[in-house]
Amino acid sequence: MKRDPQKVRNIGISAHIDAGKTTLTERILYYTNRIHAIHDVKGKDGVGATMDFMELEKERGITITSAATYCEWNDHEINIIDTPGHVDFTIEVERALRVLDGGVLVLCSVGGVQSQSITVDRQMARYKVPCIAFVNKCDRSGANPMKVVEQLREKLHHNAVAMQIPIGLENDFQGVVDLVQMKAVYFEGQQGEKIRIDEIPAELKDEAEKKREELIDAASMFSEELMEAALEGEIPEDLLIDAIRIGTLKREMTPVFMGSAYKNKGVQPLLDAVTRYLPHPGEVENIALDLENDEKEVVLSPDPEKPLVSLAFKLEEGRYGQLTYIRVYQGTLRKGDFIVNSRTGKKVKVGRVVRMHANQMEDIEEIPAGYIGALFGIDCASGDTFTSPGIRYSMTSMHVPEPVISLAIVPEDNKSQQNMSKALSRFSKEDPTFRVRVDHETGDTIISGMGELHLEVYIERMKREYNAIVHTGAPQVAYRETITQRADFNYTHKKQTGGAGQYGRVAGYMEPFDGEFEFVNKIVGGAIPTEFISSVEKGFKSALEKGQLLGFPVTGIRVVINDGQAHSVDSSDTAFQAAARGAFKEGFKKAKPAILEPIMKVAVETPSEFQGAVMGTLNQRRGMILGAQDEGDSCVIEAEVPLSEMFGYSTDLRSITQGKAQFTMEFSCYRQVPKAIAEELVKKAQEKNKKAA
Amino acid sequence: MESVQKRKNPVQGLRGRDNVVYLRERSIAMLKKELILRNPLMILGSKEREPIKEGEFGGVLAKAGVGKTAFLVQLALSNLLRERNVLHVSLTQPVRKVCLWYEEVFHNISQEYELNNTSELWDTILPHRFIMTFNVDDFSVARLEERLNDLTEQGIFFPQLMIIDGLPIGDESREPLAELKILAREMGFPIWFAITVSPDDALEPGKIPASFEPLSDLFEVLIGLKAAKGKISIMVMKGQRSEDAEDVFLDPATLLIRNRE
Repeated sequence: MKRDPQKVRNIGISAHIDAGKTTLTERILYYTNRIHAIHDVKGKDGVGATMDFMELEKERGITITSAATYCEWNDHEINIIDTPGHVDFTIEVERALRVLDGGVLVLCSVGGVQSQSITVDRQMARYKVPCIAFVNKCDRSGANPMKVVEQLREKLHHNAVAMQIPIGLENDFQGVVDLVQMKAVYFEGQQGEKIRIDEIPAELKDEAEKKREELIDAASMFSEELMEAALEGEIPEDLLIDAIRIGTLKREMTPVFMGSAYKNKGVQPLLDAVTRYLPHPGEVENIALDLENDEKEVVLSPDPEKPLVSLAFKLEEGRYGQLTYIRVYQGTLRKGDFIVNSRTGKKVKVGRVVRMHANQMEDIEEIPAGYIGALFGIDCASGDTFTSPGIRYSMTSMHVPEPVISLAIVPEDNKSQQNMSKALSRFSKEDPTFRVRVDHETGDTIISGMGELHLEVYIERMKREYNAIVHTGAPQVAYRETITQRADFNYTHKKQTGGAGQYGRVAGYMEPFDGEFEFVNKIVGGAIPTEFISSVEKGFKSALEKGQLLGFPVTGIRVVINDGQAHSVDSSDTAFQAAARGAFKEGFKKAKPAILEPIMKVAVETPSEFQGAVMGTLNQRRGMILGAQDEGDSCVIEAEVPLSEMFGYSTDLRSITQGKAQFTMEFSCYRQVPKAIAEELVKKAQEKNKKAA
Repeated sequence: MESVQKRKNPVQGLRGRDNVVYLRERSIAMLKKELILRNPLMILGSKEREPIKEGEFGGVLAKAGVGKTAFLVQLALSNLLRERNVLHVSLTQPVRKVCLWYEEVFHNISQEYELNNTSELWDTILPHRFIMTFNVDDFSVARLEERLNDLTEQGIFFPQLMIIDGLPIGDESREPLAELKILAREMGFPIWFAITVSPDDALEPGKIPASFEPLSDLFEVLIGLKAAKGKISIMVMKGQRSEDAEDVFLDPATLLIRNRE
């Protein structure tokens, strides 16, 4: 393995579903000689693109698991993470971005900046990932890459600058004009592998000059030298490239490249751009938290000789056991070394170290700082930090959203039951947004996740990878309960029949609160002895787990205790916990409890002629339409819709728009359920309870 | 107690059984009342009366970046709090950005009142707001009307006030403005416009800037914003100021409306 961190690029490829990022990755691997044949995403040859290595992904033509892969270009080592495009799998995108130094935002030259591109862009901004853009599908009918550059400016507020202009478009798309070199670039040979550099076609000269001027104007903001050179009329290529690089690293400029991955055009210049404009690991500041020092922030140095700090960002069940994808931020991870999991404190020996190329691998001896690799036989959860013994650092915690949808699953037979347990334990380790629990009342296994598709994919994976056939119940929305007004409580728990007595009185009030839960102790004069205050808090907390309306967790509540009473003999931890639970029950009923439901932010992209119809469907689903963005022939409707109303929406949307619209959704907030619906929910819950009894 | 409630006290109904006034509810009600009263049109006076009626136009004139959008968003908020439906049309900003304006102004106001629990109030005003954005080059009154019909025919949203931000004003604006006037009359709502004046235009109370003069007959009320001496003054250029009109300005830091005192 080479050891020049300046020649390492850890990049992610992010985009809207169907913008063609898997095809692009496939072509990159082909041109970098990592694969020797090209397969299409929805290929007829039954092989499928190399990065989409799960059968299910091949079948649906979407990328679900982000596989890390390695390739070389121009003496640079590039680690690529292919990321999923559907919003239901955003945790994968977020995780990928956490470990990357740079990103390629792939956009469709027909669809332009679509709703998912906005989500992905926001994620890139959150992790401050510098990016370049690739406008793909320039061979498609209706392709307009320059319009996409405009949209990047207008919709995403990027300082987007075209680095190329297309030579021909749609069926006639032949190549690109490189505005830095001022040369035409054509892609010839059966797979576009032969690059022919030529003079700019005469009819494009004026446009190329104009666009180059725009590029120089934008780049000169980052380099005085370039500005001076521009005034003198002599611009050395290196100077221009350096200025663009500075702008890109600061995230103040987004160079835009174009091509058609499917038609094998424009991929090699994009690879050049990755090595030229995106940062190497040494240019990115990474911060860890020192767990021994009150979580003080520590800036990591990409020095391979320093103590090891690395992050396990992805787990996969491989043929030889658990495969842990790991990024090393500092130090070197060597085969045979002992490393410590900062979360558990467990010391483990590093066994096999590999470098991944989709589902093939290459054994290596070590992973130095700045590199991405994978380990075998390490038991850990996704997001764990591994360090050298002697330090206890943790990488900044990753933002993990709470699941919003649940599904009861029942295995078909005993064999499936065993396999299902294996699969569930693996999935919940791999994906923090996928949770599993057992409903104590019904005995059902409940899985929860970020959307319908998210759970569907896991059900399919259980069947295919683990041979576990499960039946599913109706999806269940994760409701919450809360109170809407202040209410007093004064509850005495008294039990003096046989055995040791129990006594405790708890008084105070509860009120709505903006956070999850707050417990305030305003007891004076020892009405409740200090040693029992924590028992009271514990009692309240346990009562929060199950509300009295539907049995969902209670949130948004502040409990203040200001009075109480203890008995010198009969008061105990148990007695005060029971008293607090009783007090909670009493107060909750009086505090006008309400049900909260998850509200999803939905963005529907549709041709303008269906705008009215689409708004109608959202309205029927209790959606609150925030706005409609008119973009000429198409428009984007943004709305907030209760999750419970979104089941089956894709089918509805397809049928009213002849399949021409698409939508994305993500969790937005919890909001109170309208009274009539709340009453219905309570009624149903009561009936269910009766049946269960 | 009875008489207090009859006076439409915003605190009414907030007293509990034990005659306790719940401060949280009261502060939200007070905020609501304050916001309704302290709207940008205090400068025209007549708190009870709308300064422009159905089919009429109001314009907020200022040079670029002085605070027209913030002014109009506060105007919209005071209407939203009265449960009046506001349609905000922007030709320069995407929906998300317009939403951000509202969130920002609302957040600033809540901070000023040191209120933490305002999500409930926010949730009550949101259904009364609808944002529509267009590319300025693609915008036409016919297109807007078509979109409006989509909303009203399906009973999704019925605007009671429209705000148009980003409509270019120039020699060719008379025709679209006249069409908008007809639309506003037919659909029964007033329209407020954000109007960017030329950097050479002098803004003075009671005087209409030269560049806007040819179109001023279409507008019933014109208000000017002018940045000077560390604050943004608000002046009436056209329209009647009543006796109870207050002297107000925009705070340049928060772009919130403030009383002279």
